[in-house]
Amino acid sequence: MTPAARRLGAPRAVRVCAGVGGRPLEVEGSEISAVRESWLVEDSWWSDQPLRRRYWELVTIEGGDLVVFRDLVGGGWFRHR
Amino acid sequence: MLYAELHCHSAFSFLDGASSPDELVDAAVAHGYRTLALTDHDNLCGAMEFAQAAKAAGLKAIHGAEVRVVSEREPATEHRHLTLLVKDAQGWSNLCRLLTLAHAHTRDGRERGQPELTLEQIEAHTEGLICLSGCAGHGFHDEPSLRRLLAAFGRDDLRIELQRPFARHDRALGRELAERARLLGVPCVASGNVHAHAASRAPLQDTFVAVRSHLTLDGCEPQRRGNHSHVLASPQAMAARFEDHPEALAETERIAERCQFDLTSDLGYRYPGAEDGDADRDLHQACQASFDHRYPHGHPLRDEAAARLSEELKIIAGLGLSGFFLLHRDMLELAREVAAEVRGPSSARALLPPGRGRGSSVSSIVCYLTGLSHVDPVANRLLLGRFLSEQITELPDIDLDFPRDIREKLIPRIHQRYGVERTALVAAFPTYKARGAIRDFGAALGLPAGEIERVARSSEGWSLRGFGEQIAEAIGEERAQSGRWRWLAELAREASGLPRHLAQHSGGMIVATRPLIDCCPVVPSAIEGRQIAHWDKDSCADAGFLKIDLLGLGMLSAVERCVEQIDARRGERIDLSRIPYDDPQVYDAIQRGETTGVFQIESRAQIASLRRTRPTNLDEITIQVAIVRPGPIQGGAVNPYIKRRQALNTNPDYKIPYPHHSLEPILRETLGTIIFQDQVIEVAMAFAGFSAADAAGLRRAMSRKRSAEAIESHRRSFIEGAMARWPDVDETHAAEVFEMVAGFAGFGFPKAHAAAFGLLAYQSTWLRVHYGPELLAALLDEQPMGFYPPDSLVHEAQRRGTTVLAPDLNESALGCLINEQGALRLGLRHVRGVRKEQLEELLEERSDNGPFASLSDLTARAGGARSSLEALAWAGACDRLASTDADSGQQRPGLARRAVLWQLGIGAPTASSKAQLSLAFDLPAAPTLDPLTAWQTMLADYAATGLTTGSHPLELMRPDLERRGALPSAAIELAPHRGRVCVGGLVVARQRPGTASGVCFVLLEDEQGTINLVLRPEVYERFRLTVRTEPLVFAEGILERHASAGGTVNLLVDRIEPLEPGNAQLAEIGEVISGDFRAVAPPVMSFAQGRRR
Repeated sequence: MTPAARRLGAPRAVRVCAGVGGRPLEVEGSEISAVRESWLVEDSWWSDQPLRRRYWELVTIEGGDLVVFRDLVGGGWFRHR
Repeated sequence: MLYAELHCHSAFSFLDGASSPDELVDAAVAHGYRTLALTDHDNLCGAMEFAQAAKAAGLKAIHGAEVRVVSEREPATEHRHLTLLVKDAQGWSNLCRLLTLAHAHTRDGRERGQPELTLEQIEAHTEGLICLSGCAGHGFHDEPSLRRLLAAFGRDDLRIELQRPFARHDRALGRELAERARLLGVPCVASGNVHAHAASRAPLQDTFVAVRSHLTLDGCEPQRRGNHSHVLASPQAMAARFEDHPEALAETERIAERCQFDLTSDLGYRYPGAEDGDADRDLHQACQASFDHRYPHGHPLRDEAAARLSEELKIIAGLGLSGFFLLHRDMLELAREVAAEVRGPSSARALLPPGRGRGSSVSSIVCYLTGLSHVDPVANRLLLGRFLSEQITELPDIDLDFPRDIREKLIPRIHQRYGVERTALVAAFPTYKARGAIRDFGAALGLPAGEIERVARSSEGWSLRGFGEQIAEAIGEERAQSGRWRWLAELAREASGLPRHLAQHSGGMIVATRPLIDCCPVVPSAIEGRQIAHWDKDSCADAGFLKIDLLGLGMLSAVERCVEQIDARRGERIDLSRIPYDDPQVYDAIQRGETTGVFQIESRAQIASLRRTRPTNLDEITIQVAIVRPGPIQGGAVNPYIKRRQALNTNPDYKIPYPHHSLEPILRETLGTIIFQDQVIEVAMAFAGFSAADAAGLRRAMSRKRSAEAIESHRRSFIEGAMARWPDVDETHAAEVFEMVAGFAGFGFPKAHAAAFGLLAYQSTWLRVHYGPELLAALLDEQPMGFYPPDSLVHEAQRRGTTVLAPDLNESALGCLINEQGALRLGLRHVRGVRKEQLEELLEERSDNGPFASLSDLTARAGGARSSLEALAWAGACDRLASTDADSGQQRPGLARRAVLWQLGIGAPTASSKAQLSLAFDLPAAPTLDPLTAWQTMLADYAATGLTTGSHPLELMRPDLERRGALPSAAIELAPHRGRVCVGGLVVARQRPGTASGVCFVLLEDEQGTINLVLRPEVYERFRLTVRTEPLVFAEGILERHASAGGTVNLLVDRIEPLEPGNAQLAEIGEVISGDFRAVAPPVMSFAQGRRR
């Protein structure tokens, strides 16, 4: 899929360094200063594409807010925006 | 760190909880919990089961409920949840009262309403309860409401509930609530809002949400929880989840400490009469009053009966149960009053008792003398032990059977007599069966509706076992293994055995001295004037509730109706208690298996058994009633009994083999086999040296859910007991006898119950033999009941020479009647889709102004019933009013019916006919029309009344069948053993009993009689869709006739296919009939439905 054809809002892979309990410490080189929220989505288990994701809403030390998730089915870290 | 789970739902939250209380208890213990609270939505249905399971597992149970709270101002729009926990007995009573209030108006409208409470109602019932502020989604979170709760419950008993469902904003909500709690000065408490005991059950919980909201899984995302964090987690995992709120975690343990109510011991229930000091004396007097009448001086059993009576009275007094018996007698007196009102003073039914005992109570002489039973226990050698012994721990059961109409009136009368607050019917919790599961879960998964229906129809109906294979057969192996179909099988398996909703038990009623609503919530029933408790019969028994079973017995109603018919037609008043019990004609019919329509001994299997054993007296009929039951079948009693009975019939000196000499006196009448439930008790006592209480415990273990483990625990003591008692018994021998006993674990009858039913079986056979048409009329009018659909009852009677006539507007009454020529005329009530009031209007018009002279006359006089005339015409009720030719209606129903329908189309069109004027005008004569064919007429009969009195469908297909070489049933009777034959027939019954290892039995009917088909498992599996769904079949196989089977012929089928009518017979006629016999075929008796009484 070319970048131009990418679906809006589709998650893209990010580099995350995580600590105990899967808590992100660093996203794309930015250090994380706080966790605002963390939630879990387990859905579509009945379909061909079951969904299991652990989401984290984070604050970087630069003061930025970002949401990343760990794909608990296929592995890997992603972010929506 | 310790944590107690204070918010947990079981499947008793009905579609919002996916595990049974047992499963939750087991999982909690495995996780290391010391305390668990069960807080189902708006009910305590699972509380007793939970309390019992927790006690057995050493877990502390806390009881509570999550209640739905509506605002007083806007009750319809907004609702919130509160979690209430019981601290003490006062709290339990308040919770029961609150839940009773919550349900009080759920049956006011046409739709079932939601249970709901207002804060005001809760404020009036706070004592003894701890209030948690509710779940994350619907709890009380705003300060004004929390302040109001604080004022009501006080600082000690209000807690702010923190949950961590791993939803997007729950950390923020947690912080906000913790801050609010600090401002209010109230501690927080953590809870898990558990909805499943294990992760494997979480998908089912999601599916339940979809089912509950009538959506698909894909479409109910907002309603679902979004993840599976509602599965019971370990205390350690909960500690990690609440690491930000350690105080809230610790608070769970403090609350658990304060909840000290033990449901298994603190209920405080008493039944009326329990405190009556004079009860012993009163009961004694009541028995003496009828003793001399039942056993007059000189009666051969008088001395034995007197001794038995004094022994029983002593036991009853010792147990403090005299009041209990008096209460039952009191109720029977009430029933007598109700019966007199229902039957009317001059009715022939007045000779019959208002009801009769069934079950083990029939073995009691006290019951016999106080009118609670109609079987003499001394003469019938009935053992008391199963019913009553000095060591019983539960209240005994007294079951009473009533004709349906009397029971209908009696139930509200009992509510009146003992107080609405003190009486309730026992609940029942139907579980998911295969068909319901397929339809509900299939729709939730978004599977194609047509395919869901196909799979549902071909399913076994009741069993969720082997479910995957059934789906595979219906839609193919490959698809069944893929995606959503695989999930369907998985979900159905997980749902197996879980309660689906609250329903009413068949007749159990609880009566209490103090308001019952202090012990158990009570909710209104769908039937006006009745109310149901939240507990089923096991929970009621655990609570020590006095349960009285008032059962409606269709056959009693039919027998009463029959007695009335006989009186009306012949002027003979029959007292069934005084008929001869040695009538050779009756035994002759029984031995030939001519028992279609009679009580209990009419099914295919029963008839086969009757022919083999040839009963000659009431005792042997009693055995017949008891023998075709899962208990004796699984215990391996059936074939040995039949073989020994046959051996004895030919050789009176035949020596019966007994498993041990000590068992001879116990098993003599059943020829060395265990057929009655009480024999289990006797064998355990005589052979293994069990005490009466231990033996009763073994018997109880057999009749309960999840009994396999319980029975196993008795095995060791049984074997050891037998070896210690008898030097000639080794371990193998003792184990063999135990197997015989344990094999009985399925359902079986106590002898007393079988004796009561056997008597009714004899009485109904007697009526069949001497008053066949009257009994048939009564059976048809009392449907649904018995084994055969009305269509088969009619055909069988026709074969015996009874004339059965279609309904007729000038001759029929509402119900069936016997006319002067002795023919049965079907009642107008049997025409489908016509309201009773309209029929009554027509009958009144006929009785006031004479018979209807013609169709014009009818349409003019029909008044408001005019719109039902078309349905009546389809049933043939107007055939004789056809203006074609006065006689042709009789000879050619098809011609008359076509003409009538044409004319009615002008004179009384059903659609948009509301504004019609009732002017008399001459209807034009019908033009020359093609008459309905015989096939069409037959279809019309079935569509309109569910049966045909005219040509049997097989008679119409006979020419085709003859060409294919099929034999009619009468010829089958004469065909040679082991010969290859083929047959065609209408499926009447289809059974695949769990006791027959996969063999399927099908009963076919043709115009000459019936044919038994036997399908081995591999044949059944191969043709399962045909066998399960086709009403007309063509079968081929080997004929088997064994002398030992008493002349019963079976066709061992190897091929079976749908039987299609010839092309000429396929027709579309009108909107009523689709042309396909499948759409109108009479219902098939299947084992899954169970027997209707």
